[in-house]
Amino acid sequence: MANILIVEDDTDLNAAYKVILENEKHTVKSAFNGQEALDLLKDFEPDLILLDLLMPIMGGLEFLQNYELQEKHPKVKVLIFTNMENSPEVNEAYKLGAHRCIIKSWTAPQNLARVIADALEEKPATV
Amino acid sequence: MKARSFRLPDLSAAEERAQAEALFNSIGDGVITTDEFGKITRINPAGLKILGYKESEILDKWFPQKIVAVDNEGKSINLIDRPITKAFLGGQSISERMYYRKKNGDTVPVSITVSPMILNNRPIGAVEVFRDITVEFEIDRMKSEFISLASHQLRTPLSAIKTYAHMLIDGYMGDITSAQRKSLQTVLVAANRMNELISTLLNITRIESGSITVTPKHVNLQKIIEEIIKELDHTALAKEVTLSLHVTTKQVSVKTDPLIIKEIISNLISNAIKYTPEHGSVTVKLYSRGKHTLICVEDTGFGIPKPAQAQIFTKFFRAQNVVRRETSGTGLGLYLVHGLTEQIGGKVWFESEEDKGTSFYLSLPRGTTSVSPRKSTTVKADSTPQPS
Repeated sequence: MANILIVEDDTDLNAAYKVILENEKHTVKSAFNGQEALDLLKDFEPDLILLDLLMPIMGGLEFLQNYELQEKHPKVKVLIFTNMENSPEVNEAYKLGAHRCIIKSWTAPQNLARVIADALEEKPATV
Repeated sequence: MKARSFRLPDLSAAEERAQAEALFNSIGDGVITTDEFGKITRINPAGLKILGYKESEILDKWFPQKIVAVDNEGKSINLIDRPITKAFLGGQSISERMYYRKKNGDTVPVSITVSPMILNNRPIGAVEVFRDITVEFEIDRMKSEFISLASHQLRTPLSAIKTYAHMLIDGYMGDITSAQRKSLQTVLVAANRMNELISTLLNITRIESGSITVTPKHVNLQKIIEEIIKELDHTALAKEVTLSLHVTTKQVSVKTDPLIIKEIISNLISNAIKYTPEHGSVTVKLYSRGKHTLICVEDTGFGIPKPAQAQIFTKFFRAQNVVRRETSGTGLGLYLVHGLTEQIGGKVWFESEEDKGTSFYLSLPRGTTSVSPRKSTTVKADSTPQPS
């Protein structure tokens, strides 16, 4: 199973995603902003990062720039998990190498598990 | 006595010229005129101020070369896509928004209207009026930022409600009774309605403020429709409404914004299910007509009464025959469909007969959907095919 890093500032949602993904037998670490994620990534090599965009201290876009996803970690899949539907921030995240964007409030736990499984299997992102 | 006739003295040609000159120089918007080859023949002081040039630097120069137009990413706009070219080629007025590069290299957002000067059915030049819309752009940017933030803030608690309700139903926290399951499903239905309402309101705000982002990609319409049908199948099943898709074209791919097109089709299909009585049917047809791919959503529902048909795409409008039967609608769905369809360069229309059903048609050009800094309007005849 895969190593997954959740970067989400909402503690309730962060905890929920951890339960869902651990239930799928993934190894899951949690960070609550971009800076915490960068610190965690010094000792953790994820296959996939579930990334919120709007977070305090360091948001998702700034995290992607600092993490240098395309340049240094091209094999890591980043799924943007946000409620900012159809926004310029989402387009920017794609430019920075994000694999797919999922709208939180539309995604049930089972769908989240499926989308993550698809991303890990390198299935092309479906709209 | 012979009656005298009085008339105002004719203005001399010199006086007319002086009047026109004063008018031209006092207009607050930039005005440029060109000859039939696109060479700049005149520019007024407001135009020089917006662009930062002196008159001598701009007169007699070729318009598209001297006044460089760029998109919101700073890329030069091709000659063929410039409003002046379209006005010359189409022989009609064109209004668009884009950026002009000033003499000092900075860009300035402008709202442009170009009209060809036609004499004896032949263009003899063009007049362009352009306005610096920096302040409007800044307000739009702030509005857009507010919308994004509001959307995020409204949905975050909703996401937690939905996620935990789902987790309880799915047994992540242990077994639950059937009464508990039923209650949680009610929570989910209500949360989904709230979510849809937030989406609709945000999209409408985006359309009305012109801050919607259109990002065209190659989209497989068949896949999108199949996905929507899968999502809505349980709603149709609950009403015993048959939901099917018929594809009679190989041209299922169009270049458009995937999220917007999904929102449009999803609205049309869910509307059709909602306003079709039990045991009815909703048929989605995907077919081609010339350079357009068409989607038809045909139902055997309540239909739209003739007097209501003209208002069906207006905000908050709900026809009386459905208000009596179905209370949960907001009257925003079709208004949104119409607004979003315009944004992606498509066209939507319908045919309906009360108590027999309605067919909504959505026509999409297979070519590129133009992406401009903001909504652009092209004043020209509509060539979208209508159903036969």
